[in-house]
Amino acid sequence: MNVQEIRPILSALLRNRTGAVLVALQVAIALAVLVNAVYVVKQRVDKIGRPTGIDVENIFVVTSAGFGAGYDHSATVRDDLAWLRGLPGVRAAALSSGVPLSGGGSSNTVYKTPEVKGEGTPVNYFLVDEQGVDALGTRLVAGRAFRADEILPEDPTYHEPMPSMIVTRALARALFGTDDAVGKVGYDGLGRPITVIGVIDHMQGSWVDWDKLDYVGLLPRRAFGPRATYLVRTAPGQRDALMKLAEGHLSASNPKRMIQHVRALDYYRDRSYRSDRNMAIFLVVVTVLLACVTALGIFALATFNVSVRTRQIGTRRAVGARRADVVRYFMVENWLITTAGVLLGAALALAVGYSLSRAYQLPRLDLYYLVGGVVALWALGQAAAWQPARRAARISPAVATRTV
Amino acid sequence: MLAMRHISKVFRTDLIETHALRDFSLEVAEGEFVAVTGPSGSGKTTFLNVAGLLEGFDSGTYLLDGVDTSGLADDARSRLRNEKIGFIFQSFNLIPDLDIFDNVDVPLRYRRMKAAERRERIASALDLVGLASRAHHLPSQLSGGQQQRVAIARAIAGDPKFLLADEPTGNLDSLMARQVMDLLEQINEMGTTIVLVTHDPELARRAQRNVQIVDGQVSDFRPYEPHARPAPMAAAATA
Repeated sequence: MNVQEIRPILSALLRNRTGAVLVALQVAIALAVLVNAVYVVKQRVDKIGRPTGIDVENIFVVTSAGFGAGYDHSATVRDDLAWLRGLPGVRAAALSSGVPLSGGGSSNTVYKTPEVKGEGTPVNYFLVDEQGVDALGTRLVAGRAFRADEILPEDPTYHEPMPSMIVTRALARALFGTDDAVGKVGYDGLGRPITVIGVIDHMQGSWVDWDKLDYVGLLPRRAFGPRATYLVRTAPGQRDALMKLAEGHLSASNPKRMIQHVRALDYYRDRSYRSDRNMAIFLVVVTVLLACVTALGIFALATFNVSVRTRQIGTRRAVGARRADVVRYFMVENWLITTAGVLLGAALALAVGYSLSRAYQLPRLDLYYLVGGVVALWALGQAAAWQPARRAARISPAVATRTV
Repeated sequence: MLAMRHISKVFRTDLIETHALRDFSLEVAEGEFVAVTGPSGSGKTTFLNVAGLLEGFDSGTYLLDGVDTSGLADDARSRLRNEKIGFIFQSFNLIPDLDIFDNVDVPLRYRRMKAAERRERIASALDLVGLASRAHHLPSQLSGGQQQRVAIARAIAGDPKFLLADEPTGNLDSLMARQVMDLLEQINEMGTTIVLVTHDPELARRAQRNVQIVDGQVSDFRPYEPHARPAPMAAAATA
């Protein structure tokens, strides 16, 4: 296909351009929306798919709330944990002040110097006991986990000092500029030292939309009651059965408290990402619908062009066009329309991408997506025009001799 | 040039069979100008379509310039049409969105001819029909007679041996019809074989030989007599 072959097709198209212009505009809008939508979907999918550093699939969460006079929180927690840890198939169970990935949690600021000057580093912290690291399924890469004897008692005032901390690599880097943080000391808001005793490879904290999601610290203290949250990690494949067992036992074991929830950790994760997932699904649906509507537009124009040019096609066949020449004519004509659309659409897509990146602090549109979109629209256009073009090729040359 | 022997062509529907051509035989020699006439429904158009390779036939043989056309594949028929036959249609069949130059160019493009040669042939064909100055007009900017002359230019630009004209003056007034017939005669004198399908006996008389089709068969024809062309119109009326 060279310019010489395209010229008469283009000049015929330009003389009769209303439908072609409308379809080209449709292609342009489709490209602009498609490219940006796919890009946003990819970002959402990447966000949802980020590694958590936690054994999400094998953890369940039990929340218990004590009530009434005579409720003994410490004894309840002790008994619950003893029972949970004794269950065959439970790898670890820990009392925790919060549930990672749940959207709820606690944070504080840790400083590099006791003078508590300058901007501190925000830390999403979890109060855990000696099985906290195991119950989360995180991987310790340096130092050690907490021992039972260093777990501090409940502190409803939040004023007691925290002598030690286990941090994620990301937090270690932010605080000390190195992964090798064991033995290093940070300071709380009152300038009291907190020594790092262990580093875990990676762990996501509570708020999935936070850009410091992996600035997580584990602190050795019993979370105070009367509410208790247990993180229970099971052997693979046993979570669901153990959840049922735990719910049944714990609900009946102590009349002074109620079991509020027994939920898989992926429930919390999925809930936190619900808006991202819904946005991705919505954009995929919109993109698919738009692609279908665009394909229909192209198909309709090609079908219309074939039906109004029946005599013309017959004449072309009579004077020597092969069937393949007729197919080629309509495919080239469609390609020209689609190309005009994608050129305009590429500019539009960049403009929309730029506006989105400015308005919503999104990364700038990756040009690979634009190239992919152009190729997809070209392919879509050719696919949509194929059937009408084939139908045109079946028009008999004898049509040329029909007098209306 | 054209040799049809015992051609039959039947159109079938669920209810009826129509024998459009039955045991149809006709020979046209190279350089001849033959008029094929007949009443409506006699099979003229079917003859035209079969002779022009626009439709196939059910039985018999058809040799076009020595090529046996029976059993030719669609692409081969297209190529043969393109190289051997020039078509002139009653309704001109110009492509409305292409200018005159590009209209004449259509069959040449399908012959995969080089651009320079195509330009030369188009210029020469338009010159012959007297429309060289209108090359970049659209068909809608020309009169009916001029459009038919463009159609003739398109038919002869590829230098075919055989022109097949279907009621070429059917949509023209008498003056324009005369000009078109004069042009066809001029082309015939240059050596191109012409078969003119018409229902108009006046036009038919300007051909060297008349063939009449009735009920899908040749009912009457006068053998070819070289150099026996009757004088236009008045003389033909007394032939």
